[in-house]
Order: sequence, then structure tokens, then C-alpha cells
Amino acid sequence: MKRLFSIALGILTAIGGFVDIGDIVANAETGARFGMSLAWVVIVGVVGICLFAEMAGRVATVSGRAVFDLVRERLGARVALVNLVASFFITFLTLAAEIGGVALAIELATSVNYLLWVPIVAFLVWLVIWRVKFGLMENAFGLLGLALVVAAVALWRLGPDWGGLLHAATHPVVPQGEGHPTWWFFGIALLGAAMTPYEVFFFSSGAVEEGWSRADLITNRLNVYIGFPLGGLLSLALMAGATLFLEPRGIEPGHLSQVALPTLLVLGKLGLAVLLVGFFAATFGAALETGLSCGYSIAQYFGFQWGKFVRPADAPRFHLIVLLSILAGAGLVLTTIDPVTVTEYSIVLSAAALPLTYFPILVVANDPDYMGDKVNSRLTNALGSVYLLLLLVVAVATIPLMILTKAGS
Amino acid sequence: MRRSWVVAVVLLAGACTGPVRSSSVYESKAGQTAEVVASAVQTALLAVDAAEHDQAYGRYLTQVLVEAEEDAGSAQGVFDGIQPPDDRADELRSHLDDLLTEATGALTELRIAARRGRFAELPELARPLPEVGRRLGDFAEAHG
Repeated sequence: MKRLFSIALGILTAIGGFVDIGDIVANAETGARFGMSLAWVVIVGVVGICLFAEMAGRVATVSGRAVFDLVRERLGARVALVNLVASFFITFLTLAAEIGGVALAIELATSVNYLLWVPIVAFLVWLVIWRVKFGLMENAFGLLGLALVVAAVALWRLGPDWGGLLHAATHPVVPQGEGHPTWWFFGIALLGAAMTPYEVFFFSSGAVEEGWSRADLITNRLNVYIGFPLGGLLSLALMAGATLFLEPRGIEPGHLSQVALPTLLVLGKLGLAVLLVGFFAATFGAALETGLSCGYSIAQYFGFQWGKFVRPADAPRFHLIVLLSILAGAGLVLTTIDPVTVTEYSIVLSAAALPLTYFPILVVANDPDYMGDKVNSRLTNALGSVYLLLLLVVAVATIPLMILTKAGS
Repeated sequence: MRRSWVVAVVLLAGACTGPVRSSSVYESKAGQTAEVVASAVQTALLAVDAAEHDQAYGRYLTQVLVEAEEDAGSAQGVFDGIQPPDDRADELRSHLDDLLTEATGALTELRIAARRGRFAELPELARPLPEVGRRLGDFAEAHG
């Protein structure tokens, strides 16, 4: 019974923790501009993150070491350094975006300028990472993030033409007046949001933090294969809401407040309150994950003691990196750069860096020295290789498309 | 290498604001501006609708209206900073500026009322917006 509860909790946490500021912004913007025509990218992204997160979780579970702890050992310092630089930069940018996202969510509830909230949010993120136990931290914000289900409830209450939405999603057409390059650019942004690198950093390091053993392999699979796709459905609900309410009115959401409009107009004040809680939890939870991931990535590369499973005094450099990352992230947002813009750039650049993050996972997950009999199956390898090829194409196309479309404008 | 960086920075700086060389580029920028302001107008109309039916908290509504006004004002400011290249562009600018001023004026009234907590007045103050929004939409379609 206890095991069942633990698995259910893990799945619910994975659902609530799946969506972050990148998913919220990317899905709403895409729905408002292109309807459901890019919904298939969310599915491609969810399958991809499931595939590689399961590998990363399995590596950590079997070897007892986080996947990036092994990358330097397996691929050498130089390759690992390239991987570290690219992944850390994206994770740091995402951390800044999440801190900004939390401040924006609070601004919506209080009407007090978000810049005033940024230092408070940064302090709280640091405090929770410093003081709160890993399991409690992950479960509390994951479960609270389930409040975003209200966006799906609003969609259901609205009773849209489900057949029409499904048809638009399965027969993608570039809307009139939009160019193909812009459509593809937004597709790349969606993929970057769904497969953002910190998710695997956090997932594999989290498995070590929680002391997973081979007995937890099933938990790993269920969390990933059930939790993540259901989290992906929340992303699609946000996209569908924007498709139904914002696209027909020509509204291009550049603010979190506009993303809330569909839920508000269907469910009223209660719906809005629950959605704001969801925004807060999703962004705050992701700020914790990205803050920790900044520490994980650097500490694991340099071989410092890392993690919350030891006392802070025993992992001082890890905690210092986390603290400096949070301070720098808050500093970036305090320059008054728009957090939504930071989010947009973080997910697009994340797409450009994806092969650097995911290639090492595939290599390590195939190494029998670390994995024993738990190396990738042929099917997993085939799928992993197809995805790497896809991510390589995406990485090559990202920057030219960004320039060509003036970042989608 | 250093020279290429200087060239890149100059090009980027030049891309921010300033004159455009052709009438068609100016027209396209006018269309984009109309689109942004039309989006702000439509957002404000949804907020007013929510206020009319008591569907949202005052603080949230205020925030939506503040942001709508900021978006519209900022788009107008950027557009006004672009040097029109010829007489035809002057005409276009004059036509769009009237629409933008009408829209931003109404959005400012909405923001002021919302900040003072006078949400019951919003529907009345928003009365010109559907028509302005429609004209901005038409302009964006014709010149985008």
C-alpha cells in the first residue's frame, strides 16, 4: 500500500511538475497564433523527454550516480565541458525566466510591480533549497502545480468542438498570413520548451537524492511514461484555450495575464484563483529545479560533493554555485528585461543545445560497464537515434530561423 | 574578427529604430504596429467583459489593463520614432496615428478607472474600443 501511494505520488508530482514558464508561454503564444496546427510538436517533445528522462533515471538508479556525473568519466573532460557550458547556460537562462515567472504570477494577484517581488522570490527559492528536504520540496510544488488542471477543466466546461480541435491538430496547416519559417520557428520553441535540458539534470540527480535502487526502476518508468504525458496534456489544454479565445480575436499573448483569460472567462474568479496558484507553483517548482540543476551540473563536472542528501556544510561548493546562480538569475531579471522575452530565448536556445545534452545520455545508457544488464533495448536505441538525428536538424536550423524570422515576429 | 563584431553591432543598432529606406518596409511596420495595438485593444475588451460580469478580481483586471495600455503606448512610440520615407508614408502615418491615438486614449481611461477601483465604469469607457479595434484589424490586414 505504501509503495502504491509512493508511485501515485510520484506520478502526480511528475504531472504537476511537467509544466513550467516555458511551456506556459510557448503553448499560449503558439495557440494564439497558429491554432492547434503545432500540437503535434508537443507530442513529439513529450515522447522525446519520456525517452531520455527514463534513460537518465535508469542510469542513476542502476549506477547510483547522476548521469552527468558519468559523462565526464565516459566521454572525457573536453566533450563533457562542451556539454556543461551549453547546458548550464540554458539552465541558468531558464532559472532567470522561472524567477521572473514567479514574480509575474504574484504581480497578477497583487498588482504590485513584479520587479519588487524578484528579490523576495530569489530569497525564497534559495531558502527552500537550503532548508527544505528534497522529497518534501519536490512533492509539495509538484502537487500544487496540479492546480494547472483548471485550464483543462475550463476547456471541458466550455464544451468546444472537440472534433474540430482534433482535426486542426492532426491536419496541420500554416494559417493564412503566416510564413512557413515562422511556423517552424514556433515549432522549435515548443520542442525546446518540452525537452528543456534541466529536466534530465534534475530527474537523474533527483533519483540519486532520493536513493533510488533497482527496485525503483518501475517507479522511474511509471513517473515518466504516465506523469509526463499527462503533464503534456496540460500544455495542450493551454494551447487549446488560446486557440479558442485568443486566436479569433487576434490577441498575441505577451503577458502571463493574457494566458489566464480563457480560464477566467469560463470559470470566473475561482478558476482564476486556482490558475494563479498553478502558475505560482509551476514556476516556483521549476525555479527550485533549475537552481538545483545549475549546482548539479557544475558540481558533477568538477567532482565536488553535491546534493541535498548531505548536509550543506558537506557540500559547500555546490550550495555556493546554487546561491550565485540564483543571485545572477535575479540580477538578470532586475535589469528590467521582460521575463517573457527571457523565456522565449531560453526555450529557443534550449532547442539549439538539445543534442549536446541528450547525446551523452544515450552513450552512457548503452555502456554495460555502468548499466550491466540494464542497457538500452534495441527499440530504445532506435528511437533514441532517431531523436538525436531530429535534434541535430533542429539545432542546426534554430539560429538561422531565429534570424530569418526576427525571433518569430 | 574584431571588425566583423563592430559591423554586427552597428547593423544590430541600426535595426532597432531610425529611418526605413522604402515605402513598402514602412507600410509593413505600420501594419505590424496596428496588429500589436489591435491585440492590446482586444485584450482590454475581454478584461472589460470579465469586469462587467464580475468574473475577475480587481487587481488582476487592473494588471491586464495596465499591460494593454503599455503595449499599445510602446508600439505607438516605436512607430512614431520611424522616419517616414516619402509622401505616401506620411499619409499612412497620419491615418494610423489617428487610430493609435484613439486606441491608447481609451486604454488610458480604462487604466485610470481600474486603478481607482471604478470597475463599474469600464463598459462605458470601453464603448469606442470595438470600433477602433475593428479598424485597426482592417488596417493591419491591408498593410501587414
